[in-house]
Amino acid sequence: MRLLIVEDEVLLAAQVDRFLRENDFVVDMATDGEEGLYYAREYDYDAAVIDLGLPKLTGIELIRTLRREGNTVPVLILTARSDWRDKVGGLEAGADDYLTKPFHMEELLARLKVLIRRAAGFASSVVEHGPLRLDTSSKEVRVDGTLVELTAFEYRILEFLALNPSRVVSKAELTEHLYEQDFDRDSNVIEVFIGRLRRKLDPAGRLKPIRTVRGQGYRFALDSIA
Amino acid sequence: MMPDEGSTKDVRGGVLPRILGLQGRLLLITALVLGTCLGAVGWVQDRTFKATVRAGAEEQLRAVAYGLLSAAQDEANELAFGTELGEPRLAQPDSGLYAYVERARDGVVWRSPSSVVSVGHIGEQSPLGRRPAPGESAFGVAATRSGPSRFALAYTVIWEDLGGAELTFWVLTDRAPFRREITEFRRNTTIGLLSAAIVFVVIQLAAVRWGLAPVRRMAARLNSLEAGRRGDIGDDYPRELSGLARNLNRFIAYEKANRDRYRRAMDDLAHSLKTPLAVMKNAMREINGSSANVMNDQVERMETTVTHQLSRAAAVRTVVPAKAVPVSPVAARIGRALERAYAEKAVDLELVDAPLAVRVDERDLLEMLGNVIENAFKYTHKRVRISVRRAKGAVAILIEDDGDGIAPADRRRVLRRGARADTESAGHGIGLAVALELAEVYQGTLELGDSELGGALVRLELPGRNGS
Repeated sequence: MRLLIVEDEVLLAAQVDRFLRENDFVVDMATDGEEGLYYAREYDYDAAVIDLGLPKLTGIELIRTLRREGNTVPVLILTARSDWRDKVGGLEAGADDYLTKPFHMEELLARLKVLIRRAAGFASSVVEHGPLRLDTSSKEVRVDGTLVELTAFEYRILEFLALNPSRVVSKAELTEHLYEQDFDRDSNVIEVFIGRLRRKLDPAGRLKPIRTVRGQGYRFALDSIA
Repeated sequence: MMPDEGSTKDVRGGVLPRILGLQGRLLLITALVLGTCLGAVGWVQDRTFKATVRAGAEEQLRAVAYGLLSAAQDEANELAFGTELGEPRLAQPDSGLYAYVERARDGVVWRSPSSVVSVGHIGEQSPLGRRPAPGESAFGVAATRSGPSRFALAYTVIWEDLGGAELTFWVLTDRAPFRREITEFRRNTTIGLLSAAIVFVVIQLAAVRWGLAPVRRMAARLNSLEAGRRGDIGDDYPRELSGLARNLNRFIAYEKANRDRYRRAMDDLAHSLKTPLAVMKNAMREINGSSANVMNDQVERMETTVTHQLSRAAAVRTVVPAKAVPVSPVAARIGRALERAYAEKAVDLELVDAPLAVRVDERDLLEMLGNVIENAFKYTHKRVRISVRRAKGAVAILIEDDGDGIAPADRRRVLRRGARADTESAGHGIGLAVALELAEVYQGTLELGDSELGGALVRLELPGRNGS
């Protein structure tokens, strides 16, 4: 999952960055509103954390611009002031949730997960597709009730596909959401991981959870029950 | 910074001026002046007219006396008059005009036919108490014991033909017709003066109203200002008031600017404290041991202080009250925003609105409602209801949810949470306490109860707009 953090307080930004990386997110940092807008236009993020008191372009202006341009990335606003005018203004501009500073990192993580899930159309932290059951909070994957051991990276690929069912996800998109921006984008790596996932989830080859769409990418192919 | 009611009262103003008001004062003075002037005019006119009437009567009687003198003849050493007396009324009995001639030592020697049946002065000696000396006349009101009051004129001559006899010609006339004339005049004068007075008062009333219109306008605008319907008192005043109006407007603007600056300072203070606190809090996660716990507690306590104390300090009720803010739109805004933030809960939000406004700064209203409504969204299962209704001299805002509610035993603690940062470390969830503190700044109230929805009921009561 790829996140955009727009926060001008460098120390706080660094802490958030490190914490989210520890929790298997790919994080891009921007320290002012204009930089944030550039990143948000350039990349496809799963969620954005935007501080309201930003230099150059305020958080509210940034969010309003994004929404006007049709960007639907889930936005969590951070506000240093317990000022409700800011909170309401941010939500009215198009933010999806808010968090008041100082906050607990765990709280931020939980809110982000909810936002990402909500954007994918799942209300609960557990996503079920046929016999496949994916718990996004404990990061456990079960097929027919049997726990499937996945590496962190395998899990991230599966989670992204499972949260974006019924549409084709390109290799480039997967790379973008799962890697740092300076990562060497070798599409063979994605193919290798997809192959491993298929073997682990469906050793017998009867479920076929991930279809390859020739020349386009992959599609999660199990029916949603969530 | 409450204005001390007692000390601002001007003790030098008496009771009467305070009751009367400006308009009353001006009218009272006008009434006094008008009464004195018109009274004096009436009195002078009355005197003058009376004197004129009296002079007229004298003139009339003198003419009759001269007529008699010229008509008098000497017949056989006796005084005699022909049929022509010069005045027909003398020949007519009881006509109101009488005459007689008195001869010194001999008494009445002749009387006019008109005085035959009359009683009273007729024939009495010297109705004026004296007889004028020869060649002189006297005029006056006949001293009377009975009968009608009369004017009397006496004229004494030495009659050569009768051996130099001293004759006094008396002519009397009833005063009644003259009195009627005076009464008539008085009535007319009174009617005239009263009409003039009424016209004067009406004109004065209009003048006073017109003249004082700017003052009344200013008073009305001050009322609306206090009721929160206006932001200033305007500048369309005459020269005498424009200085006062300008100073008042300046004061209002100054106060507002002061409050805004103070707020910004508080905001900046909160902002500059909270980010370091956030950084410290996060850094603490990487430290282990008992000292980390101590520091964590202290950071939480500081956080509570910043959140609570600063938001309370930022709420300043000013001498000039804030513009009244309609409650429902603000509540609806917060509700919609929170529906977005709590989308996964799919809260069923019900708004029972009423067109009521509160005399509270909009930011503080947002703060109070935000904290309370957020609380409802946080703890509800499904339903949240916000109702706005009129209360006694105030506006009541009821926020209800169908959550687990707040047990009566816990209510006091919840409302006072974080109020004294040194005694209790509360961390999050001080929203209701903050809302209560803000409400108290505006002399409002916040009470907790049970909702018929099954959860908590928060009743926030704030001062409403005057006369709305």
